[in-house]
Amino acid sequence: MAAETLFAGPSTAAGLDDQVLAVPESRPPLPWWLAFACAASLAGLGLACMAYTVYTGIGAWGNNRPVVWAFDIINFVFWIGIGHAGTLISAILLMFRARWRNAISRFAEAMTIFAVMVAGMFPLIHLGRPWVNFWLFPYPNQRGLWPNFRSPLMWDVFAVSTYFSVSLLFWYLGLIPDIASMRDRARGWRRNLYTVLSLGWRGAASHWLHYEKAYTLLAGLATGLVLSVHSVVSFDFAVSLVPGWHMTIFPPYFVVGAIFSGFAMVVLGLVVVRSTMGMGNIVTDRHLDLANKVVLGTSCLMGYSYLLEGFTAWYSMNPYIHHTFGNYVHGTYGWAGWVAVICNVLVPQLYWSNRARNSLPVMVGVSLSALAGMWFERFVIIVISLHQDYLPSSWGLYKPTPVDFGILLGSFGMFFSMVLLFARVLPVVATTELKASLPGSQPRRGPPYGLRPPPPARPESEPGQPRRAVRPEDRHG
Amino acid sequence: MGERVFAVLGVFAGPDALLDAASKLEGRGVGKLEAYTPYPVHGLGEALALRRSPLAGMVMVMGTLGTAAAFLFQWWMNAYDYPIVVGGKPLASWQAFVPIMFEVTVLFSAFTAWLGAVFLLCRLPGLWHPMLSSSSMPKLTRDRFALSIESQGRDFDAEATREALRDAGALETEVVRFPPAPKPASLTLLLGLAGAGALACVVAGLATYWTIKVFPTLPPMSRMLQQPRLGAQRSSSVFAGSAGFAPVAEGTVARGRLPYPFKTPEEAAVLGNPLPRTKAVLAEGKRRFDTVCRVCHGPLADGKGTLTKAYGASPADLRTRRYQAFPDGSVYHAIMSGKNAMPSFAKALTEDERWSIIHYLRALQRAADAKDSDLP
Ligand code: HEC
Repeated sequence: MAAETLFAGPSTAAGLDDQVLAVPESRPPLPWWLAFACAASLAGLGLACMAYTVYTGIGAWGNNRPVVWAFDIINFVFWIGIGHAGTLISAILLMFRARWRNAISRFAEAMTIFAVMVAGMFPLIHLGRPWVNFWLFPYPNQRGLWPNFRSPLMWDVFAVSTYFSVSLLFWYLGLIPDIASMRDRARGWRRNLYTVLSLGWRGAASHWLHYEKAYTLLAGLATGLVLSVHSVVSFDFAVSLVPGWHMTIFPPYFVVGAIFSGFAMVVLGLVVVRSTMGMGNIVTDRHLDLANKVVLGTSCLMGYSYLLEGFTAWYSMNPYIHHTFGNYVHGTYGWAGWVAVICNVLVPQLYWSNRARNSLPVMVGVSLSALAGMWFERFVIIVISLHQDYLPSSWGLYKPTPVDFGILLGSFGMFFSMVLLFARVLPVVATTELKASLPGSQPRRGPPYGLRPPPPARPESEPGQPRRAVRPEDRHG
Repeated sequence: MGERVFAVLGVFAGPDALLDAASKLEGRGVGKLEAYTPYPVHGLGEALALRRSPLAGMVMVMGTLGTAAAFLFQWWMNAYDYPIVVGGKPLASWQAFVPIMFEVTVLFSAFTAWLGAVFLLCRLPGLWHPMLSSSSMPKLTRDRFALSIESQGRDFDAEATREALRDAGALETEVVRFPPAPKPASLTLLLGLAGAGALACVVAGLATYWTIKVFPTLPPMSRMLQQPRLGAQRSSSVFAGSAGFAPVAEGTVARGRLPYPFKTPEEAAVLGNPLPRTKAVLAEGKRRFDTVCRVCHGPLADGKGTLTKAYGASPADLRTRRYQAFPDGSVYHAIMSGKNAMPSFAKALTEDERWSIIHYLRALQRAADAKDSDLP
């Protein structure tokens, strides 16, 4: 029954503080420094490659007609997708009152923010002239021009910047009371810093009313947003006429893929946090099990999407689309199509087994496979569709350059550097939210915390009733 | 400890004790009640008779405003101020504006929720709030709960209030005072701050100007302007003979300029008119005939043009039986090669123009000897 325990951490609010908030107060251990050194050097490599690109021009990459979108846009779509799990966990699961999210929401939200930051760099460097990126936004200018709002690329600008701002607001709102707790444990300059960062939060009852309202409202807004962002990203493709892109299945297919890869990344991150920061009691096996179930579910949906995509292509009776789909499985890059199918659909089927879902090596392997698979899926969609479209005279092959690979590696380096920094500087677990749902944290009278009515009091084992342990999350506290 | 009293605080161990005490003291006129808790405690708002948060309404108003603003701006920019036609769609194609309307709605709502809750309703940041210097504060953000009774007038009796809180079950009590008033800032400090602010503004302005106006013109950003190209009246080093254009390859045939091999009207008679006899072709034929042939052959092609005797030759009357039977190809030959006093018009007319003139000429010939049945 051990795996069934949702929360095995400290049973008191003080204990929680002592475990979680002590992390940023102490010096990082050696493994952290090693990991950070690795991530930071990768990030440095990526930044150097980007600087080289900006200095010499886009010719430093393999992109050329007809494959004018390649690693840059693949990485953009990939990283935006990674961010989606964070919003899903923090917003949608909050709306569904799935309280198992509390222990992992802060970490997942931070991941969202870092992933969107990394993703946002790609369209900017892809512009070729990033120093005039402000042309993307509608601002009055002496040329008397306005952007074309009928273009999905413009929708993308708005969707991604809104997504980033709202995620940041949501994350910071959740952090305020936690930083207030850190402030009251700290001394010296740290105390002043945390006072400013917590905006002088004092936990007044009249403040909590507005705070909770704002939190719920932001969750609702983020829910709509998370469904819209990857849909808008998919419009970049679906609204064009390129065979293989022009399909109505694209928005849901992209959203599902985003959640799939995002959860894989969350599982990876949680495994690392748990094992290196001694948080196994807060982020339990049960959390990983639940996250893995989400991976399994979305993997099946991915399989369904692939089938439906194939069906749409076949049913279109359009020779160009038939040709593109042929390329997905047996063209020059056909191997990438198989990598995507195997990594995204077949490998996660291991999770039907309870044992696999709860074994650390298996989940690390499956998560890595999901990440690789999703990256290759975008490679298939973008490169294979572009390299042979309507006009055979303009077909061509694509070959990435070392700079392309440097930037790809660098994006992982930047992401993990930020995640590692966050894990040592701010509380990785939303302590305030966990405190509010600890057993006995809410008054016995009055409505329970959350929407669910309190379960009827029932003795531990009733005659004639199957014996069932009362899990903490079943009680309202 | 001479500072003014802000409130008296009673600390409780758990949420139940806090709620009991709150309902005991609420409405007893002891002073303004407030509670401090490490996390939201449910039922506390009701116990303290706090008004519900008006945030949802604010968010709805601002969100609706966002939708409307996004629609109006997109319409104004793309359909009115700078109309862009895309794929022949109507300018005010609102369907294409929906994604951005949605995003702006969310953006407005989210900022309203955050700024409204934190700044407007909670009146944060409160970095110098008396509670932050209370010695109980570290407990209250950790695991303890406090009920405070705020002093609202001169006749606030801290001791009696302490007693009331103790009666209500408080484990300990504390009198929270306002922090000592800071010394009034000196004039030089204020002036210095103002100067620093002004300097920061100037620097920010210059930096913005530099990044937008100057930076893009520096190398390597300016490389796009430095590509090789040929200025007017300059000789090129790329093509032979310093020409600015590549010389036309030998044997190149321009569209509409096929080589013309015929020498006599009889040889050319094999050519047929490739154009259909449509209204448009006839109209084009009339236009070209009136421009080119009319001066000599006259508007009716009867050879009575506006030429004077000085011309010295008489253009043919093209309505005669001879020319009615003249094959199209031979007329074409006359246009291409000319005849005696008639010059060649090969350069002046394109192939299609020549053939359309011939269609028109046939119409003129028929009109010269029109029958009743020719009337429409
Ligand atoms: C500069 C005056 C001039 C113009 C302009 C002119 N023509 Fe003529 N055209 C003549 C003269 C003069 C003749 C008679 C030549 C001869 O028979 O010696 C003639 C003869 C002809 C003939 C008879 C040729 C033959 O083989 O008997 C045709 C057909 C003809 N013109 C058509 C045209 C058409 C069509 C145009 C307009 C594209 C045109 N001409 C423009 C002066 C002109």
